[in-house]
Amino acid sequence: MLAAVYLTFYAGIAAYLCAAATALVYLRTADARTLRASSRALLAGAAMFVAMLAFRWATWQHLPLTTMTDSLVLFAVLAAMAILVTVRTPNTQVLLSFYLPPLALICLVNALVAHRFLPMEPRALRSSFLAVHVGLAVFAYALFYLASMTSAAYLCQAAHLKNHRMSWLVRHIPSLADLDAALIRLVRYGYPLFMATLALGLVWAFIDRDLLGPFWWASPKVVLSCVMAAFYAILFHLRCAGRLRGPKLAELVFIGFFVLIASYVVLSILDLRGYSFWNDPS
Amino acid sequence: MSLVVVGLNHRTSPLALRERLAISADRVPEVLSNLARRHEGAGVVLLSTCNRVEVYMSHPLPADELDADIRAFLSGWFGIEAADLADALYIHADRDAVSHLFRVASSLDSLVVGEVQILGQVHSAYLMAQAEQTADKVIHALFQRAFTVAKRVRTQTTVGAGKVSVSSVAVDLAESIFSALAGKTVVVVGSGDVADLTLKSLVERGVRGVLVANRHPERAQRLAEVYEGEAVPFDDLRNHLHRADIVISTTAAPRTVLHAPDFEEALKRRGQEPMLVIDIAVPRDVDSDVGDLDNVYLYNIDDLEQVVVQNSEARRREIDTATDLVETGVDRFMEWLAGLAAEPTIVSMSDELELIRAHELRKTLDALPNLTEDQRREIDYLTTRIVRRILQRPATSIKHEIGHHDPHTVLHLVKRLFGLEDVP
Repeated sequence: MLAAVYLTFYAGIAAYLCAAATALVYLRTADARTLRASSRALLAGAAMFVAMLAFRWATWQHLPLTTMTDSLVLFAVLAAMAILVTVRTPNTQVLLSFYLPPLALICLVNALVAHRFLPMEPRALRSSFLAVHVGLAVFAYALFYLASMTSAAYLCQAAHLKNHRMSWLVRHIPSLADLDAALIRLVRYGYPLFMATLALGLVWAFIDRDLLGPFWWASPKVVLSCVMAAFYAILFHLRCAGRLRGPKLAELVFIGFFVLIASYVVLSILDLRGYSFWNDPS
Repeated sequence: MSLVVVGLNHRTSPLALRERLAISADRVPEVLSNLARRHEGAGVVLLSTCNRVEVYMSHPLPADELDADIRAFLSGWFGIEAADLADALYIHADRDAVSHLFRVASSLDSLVVGEVQILGQVHSAYLMAQAEQTADKVIHALFQRAFTVAKRVRTQTTVGAGKVSVSSVAVDLAESIFSALAGKTVVVVGSGDVADLTLKSLVERGVRGVLVANRHPERAQRLAEVYEGEAVPFDDLRNHLHRADIVISTTAAPRTVLHAPDFEEALKRRGQEPMLVIDIAVPRDVDSDVGDLDNVYLYNIDDLEQVVVQNSEARRREIDTATDLVETGVDRFMEWLAGLAAEPTIVSMSDELELIRAHELRKTLDALPNLTEDQRREIDYLTTRIVRRILQRPATSIKHEIGHHDPHTVLHLVKRLFGLEDVP
């Protein structure tokens, strides 16, 4: 079974790298067939990753969501699904060239650290209720990732138009209005998921407050999550009120995701005992 | 079988002459049927646009004989002295004619390289020939291949990308910002030819609201009426600026008339929605500080012309690639055409082998009277398959060789090998 895990994992990584490479080739050749090939490779990669998670689940008899490799694989799968839905129309397919290279980079990093995690038993979540919490969180991150990369495309398009450079890219990237609508749509879908994640986490923390101590609400994870929730809420409110739009909004959405990821990485490194969702073997 | 194109275009003739030769769509069938009557068994297509009039013909006669006849026909039909046409008309025969059509359909021979209308015009000309039944097998194949090549040029090169006139660049910019222009509003400040053209292009693409501000209210009213828009007092322009998705400014004012605070106020009132500002006036109407504002995309006449130059250069860079695609298409078509010349010989070869097969089969079956009907049928089928298999390789090779060597030599050799000396 472990061989199947390795096989599907590295096949998935290869498919994601292929998808990113072909999406970049499109920027050079403008041949629409490369984008179709890219979409197919992405779908194949996601299927491989799903199989890998299934093999892990079958091996250890509980959901594999707690190691860094498992989380990033789930992130890649959910991001791929969201990407394939976002680029389903011909004029948005060029966005694959923005979405896929960073995603492939994340997969590559995952491949470099996976040898530590793949043979290891993933720690079991304390309750299946937390699996929903983690799944929603990763999905929200995937949507915020897409919003962030859509913002990058917006900033690229806006900079070209502002500087009067009517390059090939300007004609192929969707219009500013379409990009603005797409990034707001992604935030609009991602935000409720993020809030639901937060709510589920708070409920769990409240139930287990004896374990977490009286100041559980002041933990870095809770505080950072609330800060990020407030950040996206303010962005959304300002956008709807017509006070924030265009490049400034795109910059904030772009940065927002990286702040979110940075907080996740910092918390993972700290791995604060007592604020984790898994059963500590000790 | 020869292929020939005789015609004139924007490079070989002045507008005055092209106007005299222009054939309206309703008269094309008449000209086609006249040409078809003069040339029994020929395929004819007539392409008439504002930049070219061309007759494409496939004919059993050699090209040089057709040239004189088509020239005489055009001269007589339009009542123009042959001498007046002599310098303007060109003739391309066989490979050159195919290459010419493929270049025309791919818009490499157009006044504005890469423009899209020509493919539609070539298609219409072909459909008219079809309707008049003047398109023969060769013409069908020629035009179908031309459309394939043109499509390939359009999808595999950027020869048609990027607009090359100020008004179309403005429309391109607007679409890069707003996507669909339906329901958008344009404010026109002042008036001028380029502004009119740009406004016309925008309205054609779906812009609905048109506001016109002019120091002369009657001019504003006149322009507004043309586009079912609204004239606004020039002094009150700032109060209407927030309604504009696109501003086209073209006044003759000696100083700037729109400044950054005007646009800041407009952006605030329109919830920071982007604005495209096209300043065509010289001297400029819009303060250059406006370009620094977020969500305002300011283009003056120099910026637009710079984009036109960039796009024209980009198109020119793609011409070599497009020409390679055209030449590949020409090679393939010429191979097909050469193969067509081999068809009578291949049919004769097949007939000859069939005669031998039938003769030998009859002898064999006569010698085996006890065979059942099924067995006889099976032997018949077996010999047919053997003959077909034997013929398959030489037929393919002849078609291939004829495209790469002198057709007469190849066909002569084949005829001698198979004893087909009587085949034409």
